[in-house]
Amino acid sequence: MSAFEATVFVVDDYAPVRNAISRLLRTAGFVVAAFASADAFLAQYDPGACGCVILDLSMPAVSGLELQEILAKSGSLLPIIFLTAHGSIPMSVHAMKRGASDFLTKPVNDEDLLAAVRAAIEKNRDLRSQQAERSEIRARLATLTPREREVLEYVVAGKLNKQIAATLGTVEQTVKVHRAHVMQKMKVSSVAELVRLMQRCQN
Amino acid sequence: MSWVTVLWSMNAAACLTLAGFYLAVWFKQRQSPVYLLFSCSAIAAAAISAFELWMLNSRTAEQYQQLMRWIHVPTWVLTLSFVAFVRLYLHAGRAWLAWSIYGLRTVVLILNFIFPVSINFNAITDIRQFSWGGQMVSIPVGTPNPWGLLSNLSLLLLLIFAVDAAIVVWRRGDRRRALLVGGSMIFGGILAWHVPLVIWGVIDVPFFLGFSYTAIVAAMGYELSNDVARAAGLVRELEISEQRLNLAADSANLGMWEWDIVCDEIWITDKGRAMFGFDSLEKVDFELFRSRLHPEDRESVLKAVENSLGTGAKYESEYRVLLPSGELRWIAGRGQVEFNRDGRPFRMHGASLDITKRKEAEEQAVRQHNEMAHLSRVTMLGELSGSIAHELNLPLSAILTNAQTAQRILASGGTDLGEVREILKEIVSEDRRASDAIRRLRLWLTKREVQQHSLRINKVVRNVLKLVRSDLVNQKVKVETKLAPNLPAVVGDPVQLQQILLNLVVNASDAMASCPTPDRRLVIRTEIENGDDAITVSITDQGCGIPEKNMEQLFEPFFTTKEKGMGLGLSVCRTIIAAHRGTLWAMNNADRGATFCFRLPTTAPNERVVIDNNGSSQ
Repeated sequence: MSAFEATVFVVDDYAPVRNAISRLLRTAGFVVAAFASADAFLAQYDPGACGCVILDLSMPAVSGLELQEILAKSGSLLPIIFLTAHGSIPMSVHAMKRGASDFLTKPVNDEDLLAAVRAAIEKNRDLRSQQAERSEIRARLATLTPREREVLEYVVAGKLNKQIAATLGTVEQTVKVHRAHVMQKMKVSSVAELVRLMQRCQN
Repeated sequence: MSWVTVLWSMNAAACLTLAGFYLAVWFKQRQSPVYLLFSCSAIAAAAISAFELWMLNSRTAEQYQQLMRWIHVPTWVLTLSFVAFVRLYLHAGRAWLAWSIYGLRTVVLILNFIFPVSINFNAITDIRQFSWGGQMVSIPVGTPNPWGLLSNLSLLLLLIFAVDAAIVVWRRGDRRRALLVGGSMIFGGILAWHVPLVIWGVIDVPFFLGFSYTAIVAAMGYELSNDVARAAGLVRELEISEQRLNLAADSANLGMWEWDIVCDEIWITDKGRAMFGFDSLEKVDFELFRSRLHPEDRESVLKAVENSLGTGAKYESEYRVLLPSGELRWIAGRGQVEFNRDGRPFRMHGASLDITKRKEAEEQAVRQHNEMAHLSRVTMLGELSGSIAHELNLPLSAILTNAQTAQRILASGGTDLGEVREILKEIVSEDRRASDAIRRLRLWLTKREVQQHSLRINKVVRNVLKLVRSDLVNQKVKVETKLAPNLPAVVGDPVQLQQILLNLVVNASDAMASCPTPDRRLVIRTEIENGDDAITVSITDQGCGIPEKNMEQLFEPFFTTKEKGMGLGLSVCRTIIAAHRGTLWAMNNADRGATFCFRLPTTAPNERVVIDNNGSSQ
């Protein structure tokens, strides 16, 4: 499992469907890894993997919904496309609420499946880049001194230098120096940019 | 005419009359020699009387000598007939005594004709005439032959034989016969002792041996007449009982028949004629009977008849007849074969009963039971719709995806034929799977005749699990199968047996709905029982078991503990199992949950079961 190449993980206990979907995806140019059960998938699961998961809803032992929960708890970024032969509305609502990328019923049209897979991989890419950005911002934040961190909070909250100095019990000049350090360390040139950065980080 | 002549000739005439009468009886009933024996004794007694009369009236010693010699012939016949009569008719008297008497008497007869005069006299010198009761009678005078003692000895043996036989008959409880026949023989035997006394000149009386023997003949005749009277009574009783039988047969709608096998002629009552559609005067033979049989039943009836003719076993058969009018009737026939002495069947008689109504009711009951089973199947299918959709969806899903993949490969100008071949192979196999599922469904849903297949119960179990797989997965029920290998086949309807299993599996899985997931375990077990006689199938769940108060009602119709259920499932199951000659029962497990078991016999039922399910065909 390459961490850099998007892989479609197919988990379905019924071999003919599993094979057919894998074949379709491979033909469409995707890298595919197929598993007969949730346990088999989890045994090889790499948290850093990128791509998406196509999951059969009703499987013996660990069901699709249960696997979704396990992955969510482990902080996986892999979007899940559910595939089911007889999914009920409550089931699909449940799955979507928990962040499923799509909910398709068998038999599934190839275009629909491929579109869902593409969308899911795109989503995964976004999630991954967002996550990368967040860690970059966090890395920049980590270089700030506690005082600078305090100043940053007030700046983002929209306080003026004068107000910040009053709150911190110091002179405006010192706040200005801190503020310049913050802007420099966070690699931004405007307050608006800093605010956007902090928002992304909090997402 | 002197009264002596009248008396002796009347005696002889009476004896001859009796002899003539029973001779006529014997001609009609040749198989019983007692009548012949009796006639012989009566003729002999008449002859003795005649000889005696002749002797009483004889005037010369020479004539007397001749008569004295020839009277031994009827005496010999008489003695032998008496002894044989007692042996054959009364079944009494010792064999060695009888044979001694036969022998001795024969020796006497032979000696009688060897001696110059007779066994009684060396010479008769004179005849003495004297007045007896006002009549002049003759008795012989001469030197007695000492060998005459042999004749007396045979008389003594006869007396002993008679006493012994009378005692035996008396002890047997037949006192009247003992007194009458035995008594008369003893009486006659004692009276006969006047002959040697006269010969030895001890007393002066005319010979009246004929009378003493006539007493015995009369006693025998009386006994036989009782028999004849009893036979006449029996004939009357027989007539009455025949009338009763006919009355009973009529009111029971029985057709009585009798088949003369030698002449191939069937006599049959009017009821029977109506039953088979024979005209009232039509001559019935076996071929005509055969022609009325329904073609499908012909062979089995002929087999039953042949079996009876061959082994003498009772004839029993249930079959359909097709009347000339086109009407169809069910008949139950029972009968018995009679064999002649060579062991060849010569007659068969019996009765036939019209059981059309009973058969119709039976068929109606089976039809209703099948309707019920079908209704229950349809209901069950509604509950299992998820599973069924799944069964069809999976192969369709694989087929669609595979087909579209192939289209993509071809559209992109791909040349990987190997991949396309692989895809087509999977499409074919998945298509088969889908059509299998549809076929199973169709079997499950169509109303059809109950089949009697020889089938493997393990296969039925596996088919049911296929049908219910997805529901069990969704309900998180884990199925464990413990199927005994190499089970003998059972005979039954595959769909109905599937229905039972499915019912029990669904019940078991429902029973565990409230259990924690890991406990939802269901075990299906097949086992052999009693050697090879029966197969048991058991379905064990881990649910909360059956409350004791429900155990009794469990299999009653409309009893249910489910909110949605109609309460027909288990009652239908039990009916189906009963129709398969099996049993179905339930019990609570020692630890938890319940087990439902059914047992099916492995031997094929002998009785033919052809049941029309919807009543329209046939």
